[in-house]
Amino acid sequence: MASPVSVYNSNALDPHIRSPPREALKMEFLADVTLLPGEDRITDKDIIYICPFNGAVKGKVLITNYRLYFRSSDADVTVAVTLDVPLGAISRVEKMGGASSRGENSYGLDITCKDMRNLRFALKQEGHSRRDIFENLFRYAFPLSHNLPLFAYVTQEKYAEVGWSIYNPVEEFRRQGLPNKKWRISFTNKSYELCDTYPTVLAVPVRSTEDDLKRVAAFRSRGRIPVLSWIHRENQAVIVRCSQPLVGMSGKRNKDDERYLDLIREANDTPKLTIYDARPNVNAVANKATGGGYEGDEYQNAELVFLDIQNIHVMRESLKKLKDIVYPNVEESHWLSSLESTHWLEHVKLVLSGAIQVADKVCSGNSVVVHCSDGWDRTAQLTSLAMLMLDSHYRTLRGFQVLIEKEWISFGHKFASRIGHGDKNHADQDRSPIFVQFIDCVWQMTKQFPTAFEFNEHLLLTILDHLYSCRFGTFLYNCESARDANEVRLKTVSLWALVNSRMDIYLNPFYTPESGRVLYPVASMRHLELWVSYYIRWNPRIQQQQQSPVEQRYRELLALRDEYLKKLEQLQLSDSSTSSDLANSSTPNTTPSSTSTPSQYTHLQTPL
Amino acid sequence: MEFSEHIKTANVEDVVLRQPLQPPSRGTLCITGHHLLFSDRGEGGSRQVLLLLRNIDAIEKSVENLLGYSGFFSNAGHGERISGSSGTVTIKCKDLRVLQLDIPGMEQCLNIAHSIETLSCLDNVSEMYPFFYRPTDFSLQDGWGLSTPEEYYSQAKALQKKWRLSSVNRDYSVCPSYPPAVIVPHAVDDDTLKKAAKFRQGGRFPVLCYYHRKNGMVIMRSSQPLTGANRKRCKEDELLLQAVIDGSDKGYIIDTRSSQQVQQARMTGGGFESKSFYNHWKRLHRQMERGKALQESLIKLVEACGDESNNMDRWLSKLENSKWLSHVQTALSTAGLLAECVERDGHSALVHGFDGTDCSLLISTLAQLIMDPCCRTLEGFLALLEREWLQAGHPFQQRCAHSACSHARLQQESPVFLLLLDCVWQLWRQFPLALGFSEALLLRLAADVYASEYGTFLCNNDKERCALGVKDKTHCLLQALLKPTVKDFYLNPLYEPTELAIWPSVHPQSLQLWRGFFLRWTQQARHLEEVQEEIRNMIIEWEKLALR
Repeated sequence: MASPVSVYNSNALDPHIRSPPREALKMEFLADVTLLPGEDRITDKDIIYICPFNGAVKGKVLITNYRLYFRSSDADVTVAVTLDVPLGAISRVEKMGGASSRGENSYGLDITCKDMRNLRFALKQEGHSRRDIFENLFRYAFPLSHNLPLFAYVTQEKYAEVGWSIYNPVEEFRRQGLPNKKWRISFTNKSYELCDTYPTVLAVPVRSTEDDLKRVAAFRSRGRIPVLSWIHRENQAVIVRCSQPLVGMSGKRNKDDERYLDLIREANDTPKLTIYDARPNVNAVANKATGGGYEGDEYQNAELVFLDIQNIHVMRESLKKLKDIVYPNVEESHWLSSLESTHWLEHVKLVLSGAIQVADKVCSGNSVVVHCSDGWDRTAQLTSLAMLMLDSHYRTLRGFQVLIEKEWISFGHKFASRIGHGDKNHADQDRSPIFVQFIDCVWQMTKQFPTAFEFNEHLLLTILDHLYSCRFGTFLYNCESARDANEVRLKTVSLWALVNSRMDIYLNPFYTPESGRVLYPVASMRHLELWVSYYIRWNPRIQQQQQSPVEQRYRELLALRDEYLKKLEQLQLSDSSTSSDLANSSTPNTTPSSTSTPSQYTHLQTPL
Repeated sequence: MEFSEHIKTANVEDVVLRQPLQPPSRGTLCITGHHLLFSDRGEGGSRQVLLLLRNIDAIEKSVENLLGYSGFFSNAGHGERISGSSGTVTIKCKDLRVLQLDIPGMEQCLNIAHSIETLSCLDNVSEMYPFFYRPTDFSLQDGWGLSTPEEYYSQAKALQKKWRLSSVNRDYSVCPSYPPAVIVPHAVDDDTLKKAAKFRQGGRFPVLCYYHRKNGMVIMRSSQPLTGANRKRCKEDELLLQAVIDGSDKGYIIDTRSSQQVQQARMTGGGFESKSFYNHWKRLHRQMERGKALQESLIKLVEACGDESNNMDRWLSKLENSKWLSHVQTALSTAGLLAECVERDGHSALVHGFDGTDCSLLISTLAQLIMDPCCRTLEGFLALLEREWLQAGHPFQQRCAHSACSHARLQQESPVFLLLLDCVWQLWRQFPLALGFSEALLLRLAADVYASEYGTFLCNNDKERCALGVKDKTHCLLQALLKPTVKDFYLNPLYEPTELAIWPSVHPQSLQLWRGFFLRWTQQARHLEEVQEEIRNMIIEWEKLALR
């Protein structure tokens, strides 16, 4: 076991009931809570948790520099409630009621979380009982607003694998077959001078010079020039990502940018380059007013397609509406039309179908350019999903980590702004669940192709939990330059260290590798489902299964098979040495099955 | 009866067939008394489509005089037919498939359409295909069905102490829709039963349909009592129900109608068990839709599923408006209530609505699946269907004459059995290991209940089946499904028996559209099916090895 804190590895965020030893209950309350290395107790207190499902529950709360932990004091285990919430998941802490408020449990704290739930605690209305807890919560949930370090910088966790090495851009390009005759690797951005939100290593057309890149950068929003994300091994078609061109109201042109896009087209000799603008047409036009815009007719040999995906504000409001209908109580009477009115699934559909168009274009041999406004939200969704459809490597457990590291983290999806790690400013207009939406799209794909992904739902849930938790450095900061400046790789642990030290629990037993297979999910509303086990997982009335029973059963059968194979092998080995009659009778039986099933039985065939 | 009089054109060459999930193909169309046969002798070997005419729910024809016929093939060199007329026949099947035939020649097209229209809805049961179907590996001497009420009774030893097998209905005179043998309390004699039957609609007096071994409690089912406007009572009926609870303090009556509906039912001679005469029985009302409402719900749902327009914004609203999922919810929650009465509360229960041939069967079947692990194996489930639907007299012929696409005026059609299969699928989805059969079984049953080679779902009850000799002249689907080679396909490879009751979650977000059935032909999501198949094969292969 590589992890020093195995008990928390898989379940730290699950509110499931872990019954503590009785003695511990009587003694110091919550003394038995296992903390992470580097995690310190800040305060604890008797408190009432106003559970939206079971009503008021008396218990004790423990605040550390990492988590809020609550356990009910009722000795009856059947009604026991445990909460274990990383402070990073908290977006807002408010005082509820005043010292003179009337009514039972009207004085306390209201906590809004980023992960689809809210918590409410009540305290006794005497002697400023909540002051201490409120101030500590406020302080440690929003460390950056209090000049405190994020917990990722405090934790002392150690893992056998250092997750930071999972993604190496040069190696990943080499895997794709780059550099080649048409594409070169450029280090011109090594000190983030070309573009401060891009990674240092970029793949660009061979025929473009460093000066070209600089001139193109001047015409692209925030210098996010078109660079290669992925290349199709057979037909050499590429996925290129960038930000919008700075066309503006006056309709400016930039010859270098036009020529640069034509270089991309030329690289695999297709007559037309397709530019996917993720935005709705009207939004793209509106962006001209602020200096942005889209590629017009001056881009010869290029066609522009709008994908109608809404912006971060629309997505934020959509998920908020979804939260309203699922937490705390699920809107039952008109469930489907309520769900429809959130438009969440419709947005998921548009993102998925946009990615399908990109993948399909590339598959048919045409290079594509994908952008939105800044090229760090919708663009990241589209390129990464298209790559997931096209390249089976990204559907492995490690490959998926590479995909996230590459298209999201290194290309500057603004995790810090979108999630607001450690920031008290909950109403910030920059917040948006773009990454959650991406993971939702991945989940939809895994539902449609149950054998195509090496990882399981548990991995997706773990990723989303630690998107907020601030326990790992993986999702901190907006871009590589900021990560470098804050020495994330030196001073924090990578989420992939946790994952890769316990890979077995994230593996999909149904996985059957099929390299080269392109997945086209059905992006029709009829085939999309609400991800109930994520969005409604706090509701105890939803049947919660720690692990899919089908998955578990299948694992058992696999184990059983291995066991029998082993026995069989032993039997045959002993038979071959003694050549008893028994051996002769058992041998013919095994032959047909070992010939009818390929690779798994190769080791069985040897003794025969 | 000569089918040939309905077939003016038996063969047409050069027909183009378009069907879901496959490219169009050109070939020969052939109409026989029971089948539509299309064979395509393309380069890649011949392909055949054999469709039972009975499976056709509706056809639409459009005949046009066209100059250029079939533009689709014009590139392939077939477009030389310049003049002449042609027509298109669109076939909507009861399994929700939609086929389109482009037929050259207006007259031929009309002939074909006419033949299909007539032959697809023959009224005479004994002319139907099951009476002609003679598979080589099956003999009519193999018997019919899985088990009889007599066998069921003799197997349940614990039951025999307080319950007896009555043959009061041996000639179907007491209740035409009941089987000849029924299980009733020992304490009640046949004369009492006869009198009680007169007091129940259609003679469906309360009989035992399930014995819960864990606590000896039972589920009974019947039709409504004929109390009428002046609150008639029937001592024998009261006696019969009193004998059911036999010393226990109470029983539950689950009435699948609202309390308002039962009051109204009195005006037309029906009614309910009043508290004052059945004082040990507690009535619970759960209104369930039936008949026309259910059929219309299915029509709306199928319409929404088949809507190919790109505007899918309103899909969820359409799904909700069809109310199908809320029928699923009501059925599962009422069944849950029934199971709760018996399993958790430890009391016997009686289920009925009006006729006791639809919702009552739905509820009692689901409750048994929830409570009884024996019903969850492939054999057990099929036997359950045989007891609760075939022997218990669900009028399949009336309910399943047409499905969702028919233009015919609706008569007695109602997709109660399909609703059952959907509910079972929901159970299967929520408890993927607890049921011993696969989704493929449910799909097969959903298809065969509307159109089948087998005689199982013919007629409305046992009496009719006997009269027509169904059991002697047709083969039994339930037996066919259990044949060694066939059976594997319908087993759940991950099945892990559990003794526990499986309580379904009936929250709307726990219920899903049964895509495997309703969207089977509309989208390319077939890879899901293929993947399931793959998993199944792998596991079966490994299990074989493990058992060795």
